[in-house]
Amino acid sequence: MLRHIAGRIGQAVVTTFGVLTLVFFLMRLSGDPTLLLVPQGSSAQQIAVLRHQLGFDRPLIVQYVAYLQQLLQGNLGISLVQRMPVASILGGRIPYTMELAAGSILVALGIGIPTGLVMAVWRGSLLERALAAVVFAGQSMPTFWSGILMILFFGVILGWLPTSGVAGLPSLIMPSIALGALSMASFARMTRIAVLDELSRDYVAAARARGLSLGATVARHVARNAAIPVVTVTALEIGNLLAGAVIVETVFAWPGIGQLAIQAIASRDFLVVQAIVLFVSFVFILMNLLADIVYAVIDPRIRFGH
Amino acid sequence: MRRYKGVLLAAAMVAIGMTGARAQAPKTTLTVDMPGDVATMDPQLQWDTFSYTVYRNIFDNLVTRDTSGKIVGQVATAWHYKSPTQIVFTIRNDIHFQDGSKLTPQDVVFSVRRITNPAFKSPQLSQFDQITSAEVTGPNQVTLTTKTPYPVLLAQLVKLSIVPQAYVEKVGDTKFNEHPMGSGPYKLQDWQHGVQSVLVANTGYWRGKPPFEKVVFRAVPQDATRIADLRAGVADIIQNITPDDARALTSDHAVKVLVTPTERTGYLFINAQWGPTKDVRVRQAIAMAIDRNSLISALLGGYAKPVNILLTPASFGYQPDIKGWPYDPKKAAALIKEAGAQGATLTFLTSPAYPQNVVQAIQQMLDQVGLKVVIRMMDQPSYLRAREGAPQGAGSLGFGLWSCACQDADGTIWPLFHTGSIWSKYSNPAFDKAVDAARQTIDPKARLADYHTAFAILHQDVPGIGLYQADALYGARKELQWTPTPNEAFFVMDMKWK
Repeated sequence: MLRHIAGRIGQAVVTTFGVLTLVFFLMRLSGDPTLLLVPQGSSAQQIAVLRHQLGFDRPLIVQYVAYLQQLLQGNLGISLVQRMPVASILGGRIPYTMELAAGSILVALGIGIPTGLVMAVWRGSLLERALAAVVFAGQSMPTFWSGILMILFFGVILGWLPTSGVAGLPSLIMPSIALGALSMASFARMTRIAVLDELSRDYVAAARARGLSLGATVARHVARNAAIPVVTVTALEIGNLLAGAVIVETVFAWPGIGQLAIQAIASRDFLVVQAIVLFVSFVFILMNLLADIVYAVIDPRIRFGH
Repeated sequence: MRRYKGVLLAAAMVAIGMTGARAQAPKTTLTVDMPGDVATMDPQLQWDTFSYTVYRNIFDNLVTRDTSGKIVGQVATAWHYKSPTQIVFTIRNDIHFQDGSKLTPQDVVFSVRRITNPAFKSPQLSQFDQITSAEVTGPNQVTLTTKTPYPVLLAQLVKLSIVPQAYVEKVGDTKFNEHPMGSGPYKLQDWQHGVQSVLVANTGYWRGKPPFEKVVFRAVPQDATRIADLRAGVADIIQNITPDDARALTSDHAVKVLVTPTERTGYLFINAQWGPTKDVRVRQAIAMAIDRNSLISALLGGYAKPVNILLTPASFGYQPDIKGWPYDPKKAAALIKEAGAQGATLTFLTSPAYPQNVVQAIQQMLDQVGLKVVIRMMDQPSYLRAREGAPQGAGSLGFGLWSCACQDADGTIWPLFHTGSIWSKYSNPAFDKAVDAARQTIDPKARLADYHTAFAILHQDVPGIGLYQADALYGARKELQWTPTPNEAFFVMDMKWK
């Protein structure tokens, strides 16, 4: 198990390094921020002066080596656009991203799993069809549309919730629903399939034959076995949510990583983009690792290495 | 910690029925929605619209423009030219910084030297790099010297914020950016990156009591969300609304649309040094194929004015008597035929920063007179790189919105069309001579005559055409009184509740 985890970490480090290198060069191939920073109408010479001062006229490979050296010392650098340490720019956004991820995973799991369970157990009923419509809606509504609709309805017309911003819990509700809806649909479908699969197994028939009620069978046996695929999806979804939700964050003016990434790319704030790539890679590695550990807890076969 | 107090407070609001969200902000606070966040609070660093909007309320400028656009004193009370390259400013002696210290001529000199020092890496350097020296030359006197006679100096100094030397030197550049301190009407209270900047009134401000106790600048990137904020009473004024939004807002009686023509020109660049548009007849045909009035009425909701030249009446050097090319698609088609350019492919550079419906409409108008226009959409940095690069890579056409933030022809047609300028894909020695002459004299009459010559040449050669003078559009609560200005300044000091 430990060896397995160490192997995964090793792979992840190599992958992250590869992605970082790719991002480093791709970003720079599409121009540097100098042209965006200078006033319109600046002369070639004035642009060259600023470019030199900012260090973008050095050969790419020199910039790359300097960046890696700095990174190895744990230094993410100073943003040339904001003139602030990149670590503090990114650090300021992470709590917001985590809040939103927590809110939406709550929506997704809290609605998705019971819905999937009910759909599987009462398969073919009217209830299943009604819930299928909800799942379908969650999956197919684009967030830029559902988000704006919610803002207009709950924010402008009813006035129940703040239209945008980060003024505490009320402002977290709409973005969490908008962002959680898609994951909710994935969880519902995944749970439904997993539970259906388990329900057709012999052990379920055996349990029922012993006189165990359907509810007890599902709660004691089926749910646990059906949980494994759901755990994988959860880990990946949490990774996705922490990687930033660009559209939802933009619609609700939520200052998370997604919005920061878009702004940093648009303004060619290289060091910020690179730091975000590092952060997102780290989150995915961590989530995969957690999923591996949770498997072992749920499934003894994995734990004992069979 | 402050954030979690907010969470608790908000939870309490939920408990009592979420009535808080609807409640209007108390009238002592003004809330502004901007499309983006402040990049730097140091007024001598970034000057993107959002940073500029906020920090200019914290600092005073050496000179400023009044509502009619005339340059008037602010930190300086008067000025005169000692020689064509030397200008002497008299500095006010009754201004104090927000920490109580006095603003002195030495602070003015420091501000000029700081922004013009290449090691400081200010992106604004090119607006001030004609200044070679700044000296205190009397008890309340500062003298600036320029390399050559530089007629646009005052227009550039409108953008020079005066920073406190003692404070900047004490805390250093990094901390000054986080905790700026100026002599302006507002002080920075709290800067939540990516969320909002909270400013509070500087009650001892020398020009009088600021109109609001508190001003909150929020970063709200989505257009529709800013509109919702305004309609829900979360925001009192929102920046950058689209013509469609403006039309929609007219049905809401609690809000209004504030409009002003700006110095920003919507223009079409036409490559005179490469491809089918090298032929002047093709360029003239393009000028005649575009129906400015329909662009403005159908696509911009009437929020723009057609222009005859590539400059707006808000700028010095504007020439009302030079006729623009009339809309004449028949003549345009004939001219293209004559030039043998029927079906020629023209690449049209654009970026998401510009109105895409206008770009597409121009494409159709040109297709109708026999050209084949291919739109090439790139992100802004790539667009700038192509547009400012070699003629063969710059496309045949390009859409842009030009503002030099100086309201002077020098900042517009010199960089756009002078031989060798990175924006220019055109060369005409007679044009160069005229705009160079206008750059080197401080006599306004002589400059106007030079620009007349220059615009007459541009009219014939068509290396680009002015399409319209863009309007700036704001959505605001009905009770807010403010007259926006052509230079798109956002001085809270000029606003008030009705």
